[in-house]
Amino acid sequence: MTEGDELTTLPDSLLLEGLGRGDAASFEVLFYRHYERVYGLLFRLVGNQAEAEDLTQEVFLRLYRRPPAGRAEHNLAAWLYQVATRLGYNAIRGRRRLWQRNVHLLPDPAGSPDTALRVEERETRQRVRAALAHLPQRQAQLLLLRQMGLSYEELAAVCQVAPGSVGTLLARAAQAFKQVYGDEKERQV
Amino acid sequence: MTRDEAELQDTLDQLSVLGPTAAERPRPAGQALARLRVLTAETRRTRRVVRASWHPLTLWRFTMTARPKTMFAILIIVLLFGVAFSFPAVRAAASDFLGLFRVQKFAAISISPEQLARLEEIAEQGLYPGQLEMISDPGQPQITTSLREAAKLAGQPVRSLTALGQPSRIEITQGGSARLTIDLQAARTLLDIAGADPTLLPDSLEGATVDATIYPAVYQEWSDGTAFVQTESPLVDYPDDVDPAVIGEALLQALGMERDRARDLAQSIDWANTLLLPVPTNVATFSEVRVEGQVGLGLSSIDGQGNVILWQRGGRVYMLMGDQDVNELVRVVESLR
Repeated sequence: MTEGDELTTLPDSLLLEGLGRGDAASFEVLFYRHYERVYGLLFRLVGNQAEAEDLTQEVFLRLYRRPPAGRAEHNLAAWLYQVATRLGYNAIRGRRRLWQRNVHLLPDPAGSPDTALRVEERETRQRVRAALAHLPQRQAQLLLLRQMGLSYEELAAVCQVAPGSVGTLLARAAQAFKQVYGDEKERQV
Repeated sequence: MTRDEAELQDTLDQLSVLGPTAAERPRPAGQALARLRVLTAETRRTRRVVRASWHPLTLWRFTMTARPKTMFAILIIVLLFGVAFSFPAVRAAASDFLGLFRVQKFAAISISPEQLARLEEIAEQGLYPGQLEMISDPGQPQITTSLREAAKLAGQPVRSLTALGQPSRIEITQGGSARLTIDLQAARTLLDIAGADPTLLPDSLEGATVDATIYPAVYQEWSDGTAFVQTESPLVDYPDDVDPAVIGEALLQALGMERDRARDLAQSIDWANTLLLPVPTNVATFSEVRVEGQVGLGLSSIDGQGNVILWQRGGRVYMLMGDQDVNELVRVVESLR
C-alpha cells in the first residue's frame, strides 16, 4: 500500500489534523472525498452549475485557509454543509442580475430545438425552488440533505440537533413544504 | 408507512428535480482541484509564457493619452478589442473564433464588474494562452495637423467630420501583425480560471497558429474633446478545423455567462464577422444605432464620462466618442466626408 492509499483510508478527523500542519495531500483527499456532495447541495440551492462550482470552490478555500477547529473537526462533512448552506443562501440573497438587462441585443436563442422540452423542466424546478425559498433555512437544508441521502445521524450533526429529533423536524419541514408548494402551484396557475 | 413518512417521501421525490442532471454535473474533481490550486497560489501555474513587448492596444493607446478624462475611453478601447486582443485570458478564444475575421457587425454583452476584475487579474498575472510573436511592430504614432498629410502617412483616404471643423490633433499609427502559437494546456488553464469550461477547446488547437493583422489607424481630436478613430477592420486568420461556435461558447462563459445560455447564444452568432464587446454593467449601457446605413453600437457611460458609437462600413471600422449623447453623435456622423 502506498502512502497515498494510506491517506485515503484515514478518517476526516486525522486528515484535518494533517491539513492543520499544512499537509497538502491531506487536503486533496478531503477534497476528493467531499467535492461532489458539497457541489450537489450547492447546485440544489442556487440552481446554476457555474455558480455552484464557484461556491464549492469557495467552501474548500475556506477549509484550506481556516480549517475547523474544536468539536467540528470530528464531523467535517457537517461543517462543510453548514458553510455551503450559508454561502448558498448568501449568494441567493446577493445575486445580482444587472447584466441581464443588456443581453437583449444578442440574438435570441428561443426556438432552438430543445427549448420547448426544457421549459417545463425548468418551470418545475423554479416552483420547487421558490417553495423551498419560503421555508426557514434550516428546514430547507434538512430536506435537501435528506434528499441527497444523508442519514438522520448525519443530519443531526449538520443541524446541531439531537438525532432523536431529526424525524420530527423533517416531518414538519415536509408539511411546510407541501403547504408552500401547493400555494406556489396555485399562484402560477 | 405512516402519514408523516409518506408526506416526507412525497416531498423528497419533488425535491429530486433539483439535483444536477448528467449535463449539470460539476467538472471532474481533479480539474476543480487544479483550479483551486491556481487560485490559492499553492502551486504555480504549469507554464508561464513570456509577455510580448508588442501589444495590439498600442495602436489605440494614444487615444487615451490624448484625452485625460479617459477612464471611460480606456474602457471603450478595451471594449473595442477587449475580447479579441487585450485580455490574455480570452485572447486564444477570441482570435480563434474569429476565423478569417473581419468586423462586419458588433454585438454587446454585459459583463459584471466582478468578472471583469477577474479577467484583469488574470491579465496582470501575465498568463498567456501561448507564445505571442511580433511579426511587424506598429511603432510610435506620428502627429500631424493636416488631413492630407495624415492620409499620406496612413496610405489611405482619411475621412473627417466637417461639422466639427478642423481637428486640433491628428495622430497616425501604422499597422502591425503578430502570431500566437497556442499552448493548449495554458489556454485551458486560463479558461478554467476565468470560470469557463476548458474542455470546450479541442485538442487540435495544440500548437495551432493564429495570425492577427491590424492596419493603420487615424485618430482625430477636436477642442471640445470629441474624438474619431478610423481603421480598416483587423484581420485574424485561424485554423480551418476549429468550430468557431464552440470557441465562442467558451468565450461567452469566460465573460460570465451561464453555460446553457452561452451554448444557445454561441450557436446564434456569426462569429466570423461579429466583434463581441463585453460591457461592464457599472460603466455603460448599450443600444443599437443606425449609422451610415449600418447597424452599429452605441455605448452610454453611466457616470457621464462620455459616450461612444461604433460602426463599420465597407470593411472599415469607425469609433466616435464625445460628451454628446449617442443620438447626437449619430447626427455628427452625417457630416463625415
